[in-house]
Amino acid sequence: MAANWFSAAGPVARRVRGYFAPVNRATQTPVLFDPSEQGGFALDTPPMPWVSLGWIQAFARTAGSKTWAVSGGIPAGTLQQVRQTLEAQVSFEFMSWTKLTMALATGSQHMNLLAAGAGAGAAANGAQAAAAVTVLSGSTTTFIALAAADAASFTAGSIVAVDSDYTGQTGFVGAPVTGAYVRLSLTDVDYIRRVTFNVALVSEVTSTGLILAEPLPGGAPQAGAKLQAVKGFVDREGGSFYQEWSALFVMEGSQGERIFFHYPRLQAMTSANETAIPLNAKHTGGLSRVLLKGQFLALPVTDPLDGEKVLCYRSFLPSANALV
Amino acid sequence: MQNAKDSFYMALRTRLAALNPQRTVLVRGAVRPGILVEEAESPFSQLPNDVFVLRWLGLAVDMGLSSMMSAEECEIAYQTCGTQSFGGLDRGRLLSAMDKELVAMLVPCYTPKVNYASNPQAAMLTSVFWDEPEMGPIVVQRDQLTRSAKVMVCSYEEQGE
Repeated sequence: MAANWFSAAGPVARRVRGYFAPVNRATQTPVLFDPSEQGGFALDTPPMPWVSLGWIQAFARTAGSKTWAVSGGIPAGTLQQVRQTLEAQVSFEFMSWTKLTMALATGSQHMNLLAAGAGAGAAANGAQAAAAVTVLSGSTTTFIALAAADAASFTAGSIVAVDSDYTGQTGFVGAPVTGAYVRLSLTDVDYIRRVTFNVALVSEVTSTGLILAEPLPGGAPQAGAKLQAVKGFVDREGGSFYQEWSALFVMEGSQGERIFFHYPRLQAMTSANETAIPLNAKHTGGLSRVLLKGQFLALPVTDPLDGEKVLCYRSFLPSANALV
Repeated sequence: MQNAKDSFYMALRTRLAALNPQRTVLVRGAVRPGILVEEAESPFSQLPNDVFVLRWLGLAVDMGLSSMMSAEECEIAYQTCGTQSFGGLDRGRLLSAMDKELVAMLVPCYTPKVNYASNPQAAMLTSVFWDEPEMGPIVVQRDQLTRSAKVMVCSYEEQGE
């Protein structure tokens, strides 16, 4: 009888794929990934609410946890070890520039450059924005219902931000993805749309609204949401806000096996920085691809299984028929 | 490695038939997808036009693993003179189309390993996988444009292989 198993060598993986899910900042509640239920997902279509960040490279994990040896006896010998501190870092480079990857890679607040109103004075974060248009009911994550006249003011290829008006609230703003922390009440009615992650590209304009090329990361617009055109994105060196997210990294091996690294809470720990890699050996001094470089600090969560404080879960799903 | 070589070829052949059913070749009276294994056909005096030809090159093995890994380099050569209806002036476009087909054929970069020597063919336990193609420059010979690409095809040896 032919053997129906094989002895697997170490996984051979091409690159690492990254995924994002929002952390509820007010309650410090992360999104958990369950590899036993969700581990077989198609890499291009992650389970809700995970959002693909595309390919990443130079993925490196550093455990900074320190252990301390408890000694006893004469001469002293180690009796046991205790974990003194809990720390882990992750660093990598995003292969693509998007709203999400830019925001996550920077250690501060990330904002949308709203399209300026006529005659608005210049401002580093974007000028006073053109008036927002009201989003109608019936909108979904990929379709924004608008009045015909409002829809006609947009074109395919526009970028739009969809969220509520700012009404003077303080604390964390933006839901479900927190975009900023407001210490003192502000006067900019567009502030939430400046920091919202509910941003997408318009693929088609109809008389009833805008069809989006990609789903809004924050889900369907809430009642009372408004929409503004976005020209680009901006972040600052400085400020007091740290992005935090639930992270999932996947390495898929050549035999279908998968390694998952799940960090329930990850915060950027460095300011925005980039790295340039030559397109090929011929272009060492010329054309280069600019990558977003990020370094992140893992924050602990309490595992409900046994109450232990942990920073990261590493899971391995072996390939079919491989000896374990 | 023979099962891996067969599986690689069959994967590319199946993918090519789906990508461009019009790319065919007449071999020994049978019309087949336009991709051949050089060592499995009668010797060519010259490569056929508008067909992908697989040529197996160097072999390496890593015996220090729990399952021995074999890696064999595969050169995929293809050439075109363009079409008569355009007097060959479309040869650059046709070569670009073949470039695109080749890259598409190679994705995803793995396929299940199958023993095609058994009857019926038998699915094996592991997958064959390969790296990104290393595309060579265009070689111009009168009105003929030729290019070749190389990929390293890897496979774990299973019990009984």
